Amino acid sequence: MTDNDTSDPRPRPTSPPKTPLSDMPLDGPLPPSRPDMPPAPPASAQTPPSSTPKSPLSRRKFIGAAGGVAGAAILGGGALAALVRESVETSGALVPTTTVALPTTTLASGFGGPANQRILVVLEMAGGNDALNTLVSSDGRYRSSRPQLAIAENELVTLAGTDFGLHPSLAPLAPYWDAGTMAAIAGSGMDDQSRSHFKAMDTWWSGVPGASSQTGWLGRWLDATLEGENDPLRAIAFGGGSRALVGKDTLATVVRSPANFTLRTMDGSDNDALVAAFLATAGPLSASNELAAAQYAIPSTISAVDILASVSGSDDNDALPAGPNNGNTAASLLQTAAGIIDLGIGTRVITVGISGFDTHANQADPHANLLADIGNGLAAFFERLEADGHGDNVMVMTTSEFGRRVVENGSGGTDHGSGGCQFLFGPDVSGGQVVGDYDLDNLRQGDIPIVVDTRSVYAAALDWMGGPTDEILGGAHDRLGLLSA
Amino acid sequence: MTTNGASPRDQVAWLARRAGWGLIPGQLDELTALGPEAVIDRLVDPDGAGIAAEPSPWADFVYVGDQSNRQEQGVQVLGAWIDRLVATERPFENALAWFWHDHFAVSYAVVNYLPLLLEHLELLRSHTFGDFRELIRDITTDGAMLIFLDGTASTGASPNENFGRELLELYTLGIGNYTEDDVQAAAVALTGWVVARRRGYAVLQVPNRYDPTPQMFLGTTGITGVDAVVDTAVAHDAVPGFIAGKMARHFLGDVDQPTIDSLAATFAANDLDIRTLARSVLDAGIAGERTPQVTAPVPWAVAAIKATGANLPPRATIALLRQMGQVPGNPPNAGGYPGASTWLASSATAGRFTMANAIARATPVDSLALGAAADGDFDLLADLLLRPAGFSPATLDALSGLSAGAAPRPGEAVLAVALASPDLLIR
Repeated sequence: MTDNDTSDPRPRPTSPPKTPLSDMPLDGPLPPSRPDMPPAPPASAQTPPSSTPKSPLSRRKFIGAAGGVAGAAILGGGALAALVRESVETSGALVPTTTVALPTTTLASGFGGPANQRILVVLEMAGGNDALNTLVSSDGRYRSSRPQLAIAENELVTLAGTDFGLHPSLAPLAPYWDAGTMAAIAGSGMDDQSRSHFKAMDTWWSGVPGASSQTGWLGRWLDATLEGENDPLRAIAFGGGSRALVGKDTLATVVRSPANFTLRTMDGSDNDALVAAFLATAGPLSASNELAAAQYAIPSTISAVDILASVSGSDDNDALPAGPNNGNTAASLLQTAAGIIDLGIGTRVITVGISGFDTHANQADPHANLLADIGNGLAAFFERLEADGHGDNVMVMTTSEFGRRVVENGSGGTDHGSGGCQFLFGPDVSGGQVVGDYDLDNLRQGDIPIVVDTRSVYAAALDWMGGPTDEILGGAHDRLGLLSA
Repeated sequence: MTTNGASPRDQVAWLARRAGWGLIPGQLDELTALGPEAVIDRLVDPDGAGIAAEPSPWADFVYVGDQSNRQEQGVQVLGAWIDRLVATERPFENALAWFWHDHFAVSYAVVNYLPLLLEHLELLRSHTFGDFRELIRDITTDGAMLIFLDGTASTGASPNENFGRELLELYTLGIGNYTEDDVQAAAVALTGWVVARRRGYAVLQVPNRYDPTPQMFLGTTGITGVDAVVDTAVAHDAVPGFIAGKMARHFLGDVDQPTIDSLAATFAANDLDIRTLARSVLDAGIAGERTPQVTAPVPWAVAAIKATGANLPPRATIALLRQMGQVPGNPPNAGGYPGASTWLASSATAGRFTMANAIARATPVDSLALGAAADGDFDLLADLLLRPAGFSPATLDALSGLSAGAAPRPGEAVLAVALASPDLLIR
C-alpha cells in the first residue's frame, strides 16, 4: 500500500481554499416560489446600496420616537446579563457571545461620546495560534524540533534588536516595529493546563484563571466605565462573539458578518412598516427573562444595521487572501472596524474574531495565509486610521487561547500547547521590544512555559484606556514596560 | 396529565416545539387528543407506533465530484436535509440525530468530501436511538471523523492527539475526568486508521502506521486498539452524567443537577441505551423540569416552514440560514453549534427578520396561517405557531398595528412579523 493510496482527501497544501457549504455564494435572484407571487429579491445578503443609506441619526430618532421601547428601566441590565451569562454557561459550546443590547436614551438622543476617545481593538485568533512560527525564535532547538515546519532563517522578517523574527507573512507589520509602535510578547498565557480550546478560551476571555467567571475582562471595563445607561454600540464584536465583552451591566453588539448584517424585506412590502412592527414587538418587556432578552436585541439591532450600512469600505479588500471565516477576512472586518471608529459613535472596544488556527495537520500554507490576512489587514487598518486622523486613538492587541507544541507532529502540523505570543500596537506602546521569551530550556510537558501572565498585557491596555485596571483584573499585575511613559 | 397548570394542549405544544421542531396545521388537535404520554411514545418509538421507517434523505443523491457543480451538489444535499426535517413523520428521531450532529460537530468545511459527510450523517441516523457504546465505537473509525480530527494523520511514529482529546473532553467524559497522559494513550492506541482514497474512501487500518504498544488509559493497563479504548472510555463513571446532562440541556433548558443525576442513573441502569435516556428526558420535561429556551435558527426555520407550508427554494433557505448563523453540516468548531447567546445577538436577530419575511412571501395563498394573519385572528395564528396560550402583549400590539390588507398580499406582513417575533425565538 502506497502513501498515496492511504492518503485522506484533506486538501493538499497547494489546493485552493475550499468552500464550506455555508460559504457558497448564493447570488442571483430567487425564483418565484409560486407562479402567482411576485418575484423575490435576492436572498443572499449584499451590502446595502451606498447610494441610499439611511442616516444613522434618523434611525436613532426613529427609535427614540418609537417610544423608548424596552426602556432599560423595565428590566435592569443586571438581570438581563444574568440571563445571558446563564445562557453562556449552559450552552456548553464555545465561541459565542452575547449580545443582547440595551436600547437606551443615549442611543436615542444622538451620538455617543466626545471625539478622540481611546479605542481598544482586540484581534482574537481562535484555535490556538502557533506562536513559534509566528514570532520565531532564533534558538536552534526550534529548528531541530521542526524539521518540516521551521521557517527558514533567510525568510524571517528581522525584528531589529532582538533574537526573534516574524513569519514572512507578517512582513507588512515590520514598519510598525521599526517605528516603535509595535511590541511582541513571547510565552504569554495564564495558568490553564488543560490544553482544551474551550477551557483556555474561558480563561482568556475572563482574565480569571483557575475559576469560573461570569464576566469577561473587557465586560468588566465596560461596566466600570459605564456612565448612565448602556449603549450597546460601546462594544462591538465582529466576526463572531467574544465573551470577553460580557459584563454585568453592559451588553455589546455582535456582528458576525458585516456584509450579511441587513434587515431585508421582500419586493412590494412596506419595509418601514415591517421594521416598525418588529420594533414594536420589543416592548413592553415580558416578565419572562428569556422573552425579555429576545426583545432587548431588537431595537439595538435595528440601530446597528443602519449604522453599519453607513460604514463604507468593509468589502473592498478582495485582493487579500481569504480566510476560513465565512467569507470574512481579518482585513475586511478591520476595515469595518475602521469605519466604525471614524463614525465616532462612542464605540470604545471592538473585537475581531478570526478562526482557523487549530493547525493539527499540513499547517504550513494555511497558517501562512491566515497570518498574511492579519499582516495585510492590520497594515491597511493602521493606514486608514492615519488617513482618517485616528492614529493616535487606537490600540490593537492580538490574542489566541494557547500556543502549540514545540515539536511538530507527524502530520505536518502541531498539537495543542501552552505558552503563546501576542502583539500590541499603538502610539503609546513601548515598541520595538519582545517582552518575555520562549524558555526552551524549561519546557513543560513539551510546551513553551508561560513566562508572561496575559493579565500583564491586559493591564497595559486597560491602563491606556484609563482603568480602573487593578479592580478589573482583581489585583496588580506587572505592566512589564509595555507602555511608554 | 397536567403539570404546573399546563393543559394537555400546552404540554403537547411544548413537546412539538422541543422534540418535534413544529407541527403542520391540524396536528396539534390530533396529538392533543392522544395526550402527552402517547405523544412521547410516538416520538421515542415511532416503529412501535406504526410509523414507517424513512429512507435516507440522500437516497437519491448522486455524487458527481466535479468542482464545476460543487455548489449545486451542496444545495441538493442541504435542500434534501431541510426537506426531511420539514416533512418527516418521525420528528424526534431527526431532532435527536441533530443533537448527535451537534455533539460530534463534524463539519463539511473540514471533511470537504460530500459522500463521507453523508456516510457520517447516516451513521448518526442509524444510531440515534441505539446503544451509546456502539455509537462511539463507530464514530471513532468513521471516515469523516477520521479526517475531521486528524485520525488519518495519526501514526505510530507520530500520534496525533486531536481525536483522542476530543473523545474524552467533548464526546464521552467532559473536562476534569482525564489526564494529558490519557489523551496521549488514546492517541497511540488509535493510530493507523486511514481513509483510502483510491479504494472508494474505505476506512482501513494499516499495520505499519499502527502502534500496538499496550497503554495505560484511564487507570486501566494493557489498552491496545480501538475497541479497548472505546470500551474503557464508555465504561467510565463520568459518561452517564456527561451525556445525560448534555441531552437534558439541549431539550429541556437549564435544568437542575438532581434532574440530571436522575437521568444519568436511568441511562447507566439501562446500559447506556439512548432511547431510554431520550424518553426519560421528555418525561422530565412533561413533569415540569424545563425552562424557556432560545431556539436555534434551523429548528426555528423548520417549525416556521411546517406551520406556513412555505415553499422556499433550497438556495434561498441556505443563504438565509447562513445569514442567521447556522447552516446544517457546518458547525463552527469541534464544540458544536453555539448556544443561546449567539441566537440572541444582533446578527441572528437581523437574519431572523429577513428570513421571516422570505418565509411569509413563500407561503402559499391557501395557508391556514396566512389566512389567520389576513383575518386578524391572532389566537388562531398563535395556535398554529404552537403558542396555544397566545402571543405576548407586545407582539399582539405589534401585529394589531399592522394593516392586515397591506401590500402585496393580505396577511403577509402580519405573518412575517409573527414569525420574527421574540415569541417564536423562545420555545
